[in-house]
Amino acid sequence: MSIRYIDCDEARIMPSETEYHVDLEWFGGETVKNLEAKRLFPVSGLFQYIALLDSSGKEVAIVRNIDHLMPESKKVLLAVLNEYYMVPKITKVLDKHDKFGVLKFMVETERGIRTIEIRNRHNDLKLMYEGRVLIRDADDNRYEIENIDALDRHSRSLLNGEI
Amino acid sequence: MDISQLLTNKSIPTVVAEKADPQTEYLFALVSDLSRDARYTEDKKLHPGKKQKKNQDIKMFAADSILFTKDALTIISPTEDSVRRIAFSDIQSVAVKRMYGNAYLKIEKKNEETEVILRFTYQITVSAEAAARYVNNVIAGEDYTEEVKTVQESYERLQCVCPNCGRTLLRPGATCIHCRSKRQIVSRLAKYVKPELKLLILCIVNCVITTTIALIPPYTNQMIVDDFVPNKNYKAMLWMVVFMFVAYVVHYGLMAHRSYLLRAAGNRIVMNLRSDVYERAQYLPMRFYDKTPTGSVINRISSDSLVIQSFILNISQNIIVQSMLLVGIIVIMLSMNWWLTLISLLPVPLVVVGSRIFRKKIAPYYRKIWRRWSAVTSLLTDTIPCVRVVKTFAAEKRAVNKFKEYNEDWRIMDTNASKITSIYPQAVNFLITIGTLAIWAFGGRMAMEEGSGLTLGTLVAFISYTSIFYNPINYLANLSDTYQNTLASVERVLDILDADLEVDDEDEGIKPKSVKGKIEFKNINFSFDRSKKVLSDVNFVIEPGDVVGIVGTTGSGKSTLINILLRFYDNYEGTIYVDDVDLKEYNPGAFREVIGYVQQEPMMFRDTIFNNIAYGRPDAQVEEVFNAAEIANAHSFIVKQPDGYDSMLGERGIGLSGGEKQRVSIARAVLKNPSILIFDEATAAVDSETESLIQEAIDRMISGRTTLMIAHRLSTLRKANKIIVMENGKIIEMGSQEELLAKQGKYYTLVQIQNMGSKQQAKEEV
Ligand SMILES: Nc1ncnc2c1ncn2[C@@H]1O[C@H](COP(=O)(O)OP(=O)(O)O)[C@@H](O)[C@H]1O
Ligand SMILES: [Mg+2]
Repeated sequence: MSIRYIDCDEARIMPSETEYHVDLEWFGGETVKNLEAKRLFPVSGLFQYIALLDSSGKEVAIVRNIDHLMPESKKVLLAVLNEYYMVPKITKVLDKHDKFGVLKFMVETERGIRTIEIRNRHNDLKLMYEGRVLIRDADDNRYEIENIDALDRHSRSLLNGEI
Repeated sequence: MDISQLLTNKSIPTVVAEKADPQTEYLFALVSDLSRDARYTEDKKLHPGKKQKKNQDIKMFAADSILFTKDALTIISPTEDSVRRIAFSDIQSVAVKRMYGNAYLKIEKKNEETEVILRFTYQITVSAEAAARYVNNVIAGEDYTEEVKTVQESYERLQCVCPNCGRTLLRPGATCIHCRSKRQIVSRLAKYVKPELKLLILCIVNCVITTTIALIPPYTNQMIVDDFVPNKNYKAMLWMVVFMFVAYVVHYGLMAHRSYLLRAAGNRIVMNLRSDVYERAQYLPMRFYDKTPTGSVINRISSDSLVIQSFILNISQNIIVQSMLLVGIIVIMLSMNWWLTLISLLPVPLVVVGSRIFRKKIAPYYRKIWRRWSAVTSLLTDTIPCVRVVKTFAAEKRAVNKFKEYNEDWRIMDTNASKITSIYPQAVNFLITIGTLAIWAFGGRMAMEEGSGLTLGTLVAFISYTSIFYNPINYLANLSDTYQNTLASVERVLDILDADLEVDDEDEGIKPKSVKGKIEFKNINFSFDRSKKVLSDVNFVIEPGDVVGIVGTTGSGKSTLINILLRFYDNYEGTIYVDDVDLKEYNPGAFREVIGYVQQEPMMFRDTIFNNIAYGRPDAQVEEVFNAAEIANAHSFIVKQPDGYDSMLGERGIGLSGGEKQRVSIARAVLKNPSILIFDEATAAVDSETESLIQEAIDRMISGRTTLMIAHRLSTLRKANKIIVMENGKIIEMGSQEELLAKQGKYYTLVQIQNMGSKQQAKEEV
């Protein structure tokens, strides 16, 4: 048994009838329906190594690099991944509330306004390279600040000291 | 009916309530926090107790909601402006599917169509799961009133948060551990100061005396310059020398005494603080350790407590003394010359304002520095104990580089902070010097003028006093610096001191001496975090004396099952009964006492073999230990050790082979004489000869005890009268070996595969 990779045109990725899923058609005509697209590196490599899993969680294939797919496949796959992975990008920090060890930020994201509750500030706020910040809230939802230095002054001053 | 009174996971948006059918008898609601295109919907309860900022040109929608009746569900979507009713009779099943950071509720209809009916973040998943269970169970014919009660319990558990701090409570009505003792930090620390109060007061008195003595010399200077020298009064001068001699003897004697007392008191404080943190750390639930690196816990016990101690001493001593000194000097100076006093006070406001600015600038740095330092220490606690692995992979260089990198991060941050911390004191010094210079300028002139009332002696004394005067000013201004630094430490220590314990009270709950060993899991659902479900709908009954084999692929949740039975994680849904009593009624510590638990990787302490076996029962008689070791097939190899039972084990049991360690840990379990035995892949990591030794030991132990045995090699389950097969967190098969073999299901396949394997092995050996 070996892993089947998709580099570019070995297979076509098509929209599936099931929401948030894709269908796969190999060059030979063999099709597999209702696959879940899963990033193997959801933190460090958003567009490489996407696994396609069937309903029992078995891996059908791995896409090496989204950018090398056929344009139509790429569009379909990106659309599904976009739905599957919800890591809202924080564009502004509106307010901070820090009491009794529970840290709350009211933030503006591209998906609307949300209050994030952080239980453990030492583990749930992660500063990555180049100003990227990953945040996990008390319910294990994820958020991201693409570049903390690019935020406005007020936002930065609210975040300052926590990161 | 009144929709606003409906049972719900969060408040029902008015738009939804308006769209609901007033005639229908709804039972409960499920309100989402996400629209179908993954935008957040309005949330009323943002900041508790704080007025929300108006803002926001971003349009927010009311939340999609589902209302449930006894035979249908109604989906009301303000975002899509739709209302749809789906009868249970059309539904095959309902399920929650998790994606990443969001999830959805999906129905499978009888006509094989599937449909996503609600989308939400992880915040809602647990409620949604309760709702899905309701639908599935009602479809399966369960009584809906009972099922609504289960939903209610589920909702209540989630909403059972402390009204003060918003943390989830262990159960409804529990007092919040955070808020119960939540007063100001100082009063939290007062507990440690209290026993030392008498001593500290003595020290303060002592300090007042020494400070007063320190204030004498400038005054004598004045007398020398203005009186003794001009009047050639040598006798008076001598008397003064004698007086000062005595004063200095008292002064230095008291100083030495005080410094000893402070050290003694300080040591007691830090010791108590450390012990408390260590004690709390022992009782913290596994959940805490899953998420917190041990290095950071160690750091808090060892160094943060030291920072706090010095702060306590500092606060309790210096603040009082320095303030008194300050007041004292100002009074003396005013009495000498109020005009000059005002001049020397001029820089004070600047110093105070400067310290404000400084505090603002420096505050963020302390946490940043700690964060980076914590990364360094975590790396240490990670790699030093694993030094063998590092060497095996020739990864020394990488380890060193990573360490250098983290160290460098720390250095940069600390150096950045030190720019501020270095400039500030010098700036203050400069301001003070300006004050002194001003006194020279004005005072010098006044002393030269006849009739100004300022004698030369007074000027000299005055200048001496100003130099002392700025000590307390400087100290009080710098206080914020130490305070900030300490605050960060206090926060981290309180993080542990305040973390939810396994139990509110150590003595709470039933403390069984032994149990019969009936174990029942009822509707157990569990996940470590919201992102993945680990156990779903686990149900089984184990009768006293049963030997139960648990099999299944790795990651299917077998160990997790054991972990929650051992109460390492308490936040599961459903109920576990042991001897028909809810597990949560038992005292966790006492309950674990009656369980013998042998893990795959036996944990050993850096101690003798004897003490390692007797770990659970330090009072055990020598021969009891021998006996236990004999039963565990460990005695024979221990006897062969040159140091016998006195053999010292290295860290984590270095010096014994895997199988030997396993037998020591079995002996440990035997000695406990437990009512329930649990083996979690106890023989997975040993060769087949050792396995049979261990197997023999296990067989000797299990008679008359309820036994749970997780095993990969099915051959080890010969004695089991019941087999549980797990897959993806669910029990897929359960029954006796014969039943399961006859069924030709998963267990049958597993047996076939392993038989094939061993036949092949046999063939190869021939
Ligand atoms: N402390 C933990 N935190 C989060 N997930 C965990 C933790 N421990 C185990 N898991 C996950 O739970 C699932 C079941 O694990 P486990 O019960 O150890 O399986 P096994 O059946 O092999 O003993 C696995 O998918 C594992 O990744
Ligand atoms: Mg396991």
